[in-house]
Amino acid sequence: MSYQETMSPKERVMNALAGKLVDRTPAVNPTNVATVELMDLVDAPFPYACQDGEMAARLAATGYTELGFDSVSPYFSIIQESSALGCEMQWEEKDNWPTVRMYNPIWKSADDVKIPAGILEHRDMKAITDSIRMLKDELGDEVAIIGKTMGPWTLAYHVFGVESFLLGTVDNPDETKRALEKLKEISVLFGQAQIDAGADALTFPDHATGDLVSGEYYKEFLQDIHTEMVDALEAPLILHICGKTIDRMPYIAKTGMASFHFDSKNDPQAAMDAVNGGITLVGNINNPETLYARGPEEVRQEVYKCLEAGIQMIGPECAVPLATKIENLMEIPLAIKDWTAERHG
Amino acid sequence: MPVINEDLEAELGYVTSPAEQQHIRNLWDEADPLMQDISVSLIKGDNNRVDQLTKEALEAGFSANTILDDGLIAGMAIVGVKFRDNLIFVPEVLVAARAMKAGMAHVEPILSASGIEPVGTVIMGTVKGDLHDIGKNLCIMMLSGAGFTVIDLGVDTSPEEFIEAVEENEAGVLGMSALLTTTMPNMGRTIDAIEEAEMREVVKIMVGGAPLSQEFADDMGADGYGKDAMSCVELAKTFMRPDAEPSINPVS
Repeated sequence: MSYQETMSPKERVMNALAGKLVDRTPAVNPTNVATVELMDLVDAPFPYACQDGEMAARLAATGYTELGFDSVSPYFSIIQESSALGCEMQWEEKDNWPTVRMYNPIWKSADDVKIPAGILEHRDMKAITDSIRMLKDELGDEVAIIGKTMGPWTLAYHVFGVESFLLGTVDNPDETKRALEKLKEISVLFGQAQIDAGADALTFPDHATGDLVSGEYYKEFLQDIHTEMVDALEAPLILHICGKTIDRMPYIAKTGMASFHFDSKNDPQAAMDAVNGGITLVGNINNPETLYARGPEEVRQEVYKCLEAGIQMIGPECAVPLATKIENLMEIPLAIKDWTAERHG
Repeated sequence: MPVINEDLEAELGYVTSPAEQQHIRNLWDEADPLMQDISVSLIKGDNNRVDQLTKEALEAGFSANTILDDGLIAGMAIVGVKFRDNLIFVPEVLVAARAMKAGMAHVEPILSASGIEPVGTVIMGTVKGDLHDIGKNLCIMMLSGAGFTVIDLGVDTSPEEFIEAVEENEAGVLGMSALLTTTMPNMGRTIDAIEEAEMREVVKIMVGGAPLSQEFADDMGADGYGKDAMSCVELAKTFMRPDAEPSINPVS
């Protein structure tokens, strides 16, 4: 590597999120890169690493210390708030993700939406804020700490059930909007708690995916809420939506969010064209076919493709399958460095 | 009889492939206007009207099979094309499916009692660790409508549960669904377990789910990949034929 790195990982990520110059493109993990191998390495297995702050911090740190990413993310799943709200949980074991049993929803209508007093003290919320404090103490000067707060659309899947919620968007869209308005308060509450604990940025997953709903749905139900979140939360926000999203990227680009974390179903160049400079992009290395099933060479090819397209931050498209080999994940920052050296060395 | 319902004619306009349009148009060729009304109401997701019209049709002497084929399934064919072509999305499909269920509630008991031999038996389930079932349930509804006996294993299905169900029901087809990239690998593990159980030769395996692709299905060793519920039915039908070709792209 003949080029000189002049920024700390944290500086690199924060600059990239702000659309400023960087010494090289950062390797970022807005969702997370926890794997069974890493859990074993630091003795922080699922599901306990999702429930205990110290374990969460230990496992999250490996994203930087072992894999060489420029950020760490201690919120591994998408279920912490929903667990605290009282959703029925399936915690699984080390080799599987904790998940919400959405077939047994806890609420039926917007009127049911109530935030329990002291929710931030619930074990599964506190695990995240505690872990951020620990990471801040340990790595806060070096590496960007990315928290995560779930958006109201995703929370609605969990508390109302996916099918029931989506049917409601057709049967009674005003009721859906009222529910989203109430649920967004949870997003703000938990997001701000993580910022107060030391998060440098927040991922904001809100799964209005193209596999389920149209781009016009995004515009109708979520664009305004996401725009509002930019003022409500005092840190750069990284919106995450899985699946095909090209049709909604122009709307997303207008929200004012710092970045959009996008899926490999969207071509990097097409995504850059769709956002047209309105928002930075992070992504989109394929999980199941590349990171999980292939080797470092294929990972490198995808990283190069993203870099050639001008994607501002590189990372897996979503949370990686837990059996992903760490050599494939380590290849992401290595490939970025080699590409940078080849172009600018 | 040509298509006479104006709303239906408008819906056919969404089918851009001439061959496909002709195929769907043929579904209504001999259909009574009442069947066309059922189709249109289903496409619009008006479950109350489908419920009412289905009852009327039965009272008027139409057979359950006619209502199923000419009214309900013909309507879902348009819904399937619109979904595949991204003209509608899951919420709109769900309201259509709800309307289909409203009609099926009347015709299914009659069909079950008629003793008609099922086309075949299909085991369906969402893989281990995955609790999403919308896509799977749509497939099951369409498979049932197409005359298959479907054993629904629900969500979070282990390889052992799949194997046991195939054995118990002597099923010729097994369908697995996954919505998460994190759980997709469990499809491969299930296929491996079926091979280890020396059952791979007796059951055809089809997979589906939003994050899947033909490439992933091939890598795992599945016999076919269905992009949507219509494809799932076509795949299952193909597998019931002795000369079945794997991994077809069935909508044509």
